[in-house]
Amino acid sequence: MANYDAIVIGAGHNGLTAAAYLAKAGKKVLVLERRHVLGGAAVTEEIYPGFRYSVCSYVVSLLRPEVIRELALPNYDLEIIPLDSTFTPMPNGDYLFRSGDHARTRREIARHSVADAEAYEEYGRLMVHMAMAVKPLLAMIPPEPASWHPKNVFGLARLGNHFRRLGGELFYDLAKLMTMSSADFLDQWFETDVLKATMSASGIIGTFMGPRSPGTAYVLLHHYMGELDGAFRSWGFARGGMGTISRVIADAARHHGAEIRSQAPVDQVLIRRGRACGVVLASGEEIHAKVVVSGVDPKRTFLKMIDSQCLSREFKKQVSDFKIRGSSAKVNLSLDSLPDFTSMPGAGPHLAGAISISPSIDYIEQGYDEAKYGDFSRRPYMDIILPSVLDPSMAPPGKHVMSIFVQYAPYDLKTGTWPDQREALGDTVVDTLSEYAPNLKDIILHRQVVTPWDLEQEFGLTEGNIFQGELTLDQLFFLRPVAGWANYRTPIKNLYLCGACTHPGGGVMAASGRLAALEVLKDTQVRLL
Amino acid sequence: MANYDAIIIGAGHNGLVAGAYLARAGKKILLLERRSILGGIAVTEEIFPGYKIPTCAHLAGNFSQKIISDLELERHGFKLLPLTPLLFAPRQDGQGLVIRREFPDAAQEIARHSKSDADRFQPFCELLKRLSEFLAMLYQAPVPNKANPRNFHLVKFLELAWKFHRLGARDMHEFLRILPMSIADLLSEWFESDLLKGALAGRAMLASFVGPRQQGSAFNFLHHQLGQSNGALPTAGFVRGGIGGLSEALCAAAKSYGAEIRSATEVTKIITANNLATGIVLKSGEEIRAERIVSGVDIKQTLLGLVEPTALDPHFLLQVKNIRSRGTVAKINLALDSLPMFSSGDQAALGGIIHIGPSLVYLERASDDAKYGRFSKRPFLEITIPSIADPSLAPAGQHVMSVWMQSAPYELRESNWQAARQPLGDAVVRTIEEYAPGFSQTILDRQVLTPLDLEETYKLTQGHPYHAEMALDQIFFMRPVPGWSAYQTPIENLYVCGSGTHPGGGVTGLPGYYAAQVITKNWHAKK
Repeated sequence: MANYDAIVIGAGHNGLTAAAYLAKAGKKVLVLERRHVLGGAAVTEEIYPGFRYSVCSYVVSLLRPEVIRELALPNYDLEIIPLDSTFTPMPNGDYLFRSGDHARTRREIARHSVADAEAYEEYGRLMVHMAMAVKPLLAMIPPEPASWHPKNVFGLARLGNHFRRLGGELFYDLAKLMTMSSADFLDQWFETDVLKATMSASGIIGTFMGPRSPGTAYVLLHHYMGELDGAFRSWGFARGGMGTISRVIADAARHHGAEIRSQAPVDQVLIRRGRACGVVLASGEEIHAKVVVSGVDPKRTFLKMIDSQCLSREFKKQVSDFKIRGSSAKVNLSLDSLPDFTSMPGAGPHLAGAISISPSIDYIEQGYDEAKYGDFSRRPYMDIILPSVLDPSMAPPGKHVMSIFVQYAPYDLKTGTWPDQREALGDTVVDTLSEYAPNLKDIILHRQVVTPWDLEQEFGLTEGNIFQGELTLDQLFFLRPVAGWANYRTPIKNLYLCGACTHPGGGVMAASGRLAALEVLKDTQVRLL
Repeated sequence: MANYDAIIIGAGHNGLVAGAYLARAGKKILLLERRSILGGIAVTEEIFPGYKIPTCAHLAGNFSQKIISDLELERHGFKLLPLTPLLFAPRQDGQGLVIRREFPDAAQEIARHSKSDADRFQPFCELLKRLSEFLAMLYQAPVPNKANPRNFHLVKFLELAWKFHRLGARDMHEFLRILPMSIADLLSEWFESDLLKGALAGRAMLASFVGPRQQGSAFNFLHHQLGQSNGALPTAGFVRGGIGGLSEALCAAAKSYGAEIRSATEVTKIITANNLATGIVLKSGEEIRAERIVSGVDIKQTLLGLVEPTALDPHFLLQVKNIRSRGTVAKINLALDSLPMFSSGDQAALGGIIHIGPSLVYLERASDDAKYGRFSKRPFLEITIPSIADPSLAPAGQHVMSVWMQSAPYELRESNWQAARQPLGDAVVRTIEEYAPGFSQTILDRQVLTPLDLEETYKLTQGHPYHAEMALDQIFFMRPVPGWSAYQTPIENLYVCGSGTHPGGGVTGLPGYYAAQVITKNWHAKK
């Protein structure tokens, strides 16, 4: 006798989204979260009294409009504040500044290169066109190329037709974008190193690739597909931190009747006669359900939570071959006052946007080279925001929080372990940033360093990979997470998978949770028939 | 009035193949070669008296069997010799790896390094063989392109879709997955031995700008399995007389069909009028007219050098300029007094590929330097000693050695190639010496071809032997320029057929072959 219609393992934002959609469709849903905080990697935590950190994920732009609309998220107090600019300080005291103000951006780029200022407009237009061409794929269940099932053949034909109708040039541009390195792609447009470096940095975030690695240009587009109030590309953060997004989705789920339990770690998926029928908690408690949806990455789900005998050797090999190497870290700081950047002294609009430490392509590439061989970058790439500048609720009056995303920090270190190296990484980050903002060390009140190991231990992300699996071409779309299982179903009947490890991949999108829930509903309807 | 039906510029192996097929189809063909020796990069040259060396390319195992039999190359003297063993990968500690032709023998050797790797080797090779055969089939697919926008063969497409499905679900998924992968990831899924992985990754590294950890390297690996291969390694490749023997046989074949070949004859310009190619101009000033002009010369040298820039539309011109041909290889040719004595393995293991690259990390590091404008001091080396398979290449008891070195970037940041030529040669010799003590003492003579030398000698942009990088964005319908993959150019009657066109480099002969097919088909269509 099932207690619930569906159990969702993990209250990450995708699991919560799946729960909300299932509950909205009238299902009796239970969400089980291991931690005391809901949200997975999209959380706000007050690590030090008065200072609220978006501990892991720190910006949002790709949150699906259909999710916002269908779950009526604005009703629950979701406000996203746009991050309007990117400021790149340079070692020589100069800087690059780009913002939503097109005229100003043009002038700023023209300071470095007039040709690049011209090209930037055209580049932006092309990226928007390509983003529009690719966006339908974000809301699509990937068709299975090896199947003759009419649904899949039709899906493939529709996909082919979609690309054919793009017209010659756009199709070729897209083909190039999908396969080139971000450095090579940007080399064809621009000459200014610091501009190319800052732009290509978004192509390597969360990947174990460098700006010269083929397959990084495509990720450039991923970050151009964001939408805030219909405007492409803008990034923002949620008032109250990323945890607000998760809280709001959780509220929507509860509103529709879902039950959410925290500090309830799931140990195993219960399987009887080849079908998932519930879970066993670490406490030993068994809870039954007709359907189980896991929002946890495939290695944890299949290799830790499921009796090995229930899965074929081939599938287990596919899952263990799934690449999930973490390469990122976070350093979250509490500051007594604002940082003072030599390139742009004092307080200013540059502190209300993103700050990028990316002075040249070589700088980022060298950091990547070190990571390839098992060292964290001695001069890391950083993507920094000061949420408290636009949202004073994040820190005590006059004080600030600084969120620093760091690459590269490889999960596998050549020497030592991450617990040993944690502070060394923190020191490297602070030392490097101090070169650009010399007052930094004087104003740090607290420091939290989240290494790939911490991401794994605390947040359940295997090998600390922030996207629950690398976004390489062989692990995308109908190949994500593994070939043949890209539609949220698994070899175990009634067990489903959602999360960044499924299509459409990483970033705080909630797309996967929604698509997975819809597939669950399709299957339950079939059963009713 | 045209003198010829078609002029082929450049008697490299692709130009020769195209010329031979067109002549065989009854066309009046003239082939023009700048150098006094015919063959492009597939040449044997006696650079040191008494020593015949394949100065550029050294293996022809990827060459299409279809072309060999269509043009009766064996009758014209072409003989492909086996690699025995397939590969030898020495290691400094003396524990090397020999990969032999027969799977049981190969397994036995591999087992000395890893038992599970030994068991997996044959299945790996068999899978990759199936996938590379499918790739070869895919290469033949006609694709819509800007010259023929309606060129979509539904029948051919369905035939391919059917053949794809015949692979079975598992192989289909593997094909889709492996095509964009990194070879390091692929090899790590199958094998544990660093030395074996390093050895097999060699095929993925050839003329590549990026290392084995980068996406697209698995495609490069698959591409190099065309022709005589067991799926992971070439099984044949030496040519009797050195690789120049292939070019000589192609010349003989072309002549037997009535083609005229002129060497030491440099073309300086392609004549165009009203977007139509009508002939060429020689260095001597002589003009020769033809109905079709076909260039097997390096793609950028052709379109940016032989054609007036005003004859090409700006968008196309920009795309040609954007073709990436970053040179990363250097060639070192040596005359040896005796065979090198590797500390691991005996001299009986030297009759195939000698691979210096004892791990994936080594190969990845070797590729890093080029990014920063340095040549690698611990380079990846693909070495052959062709005189073992064909003793006629050197005096009795002595040998010639052919070494491909990676990475050596065309643009050095802190030096220039005139100054760096000998240090590069020294670095290569030093590297070999680490595996074969005493090696430097056996060197009688040495020729170092830097990327600059390769560019000047063989007219290869940046010295890139494939004319354009075989990166994922520069293959299939993207090669040489997106939408222009059917050997035509925006200039009517001007065709291109070199390695810079589909399906790319590796001495396969396929660009020339497919180009000839398109040219012949278009000819009949026009009439």
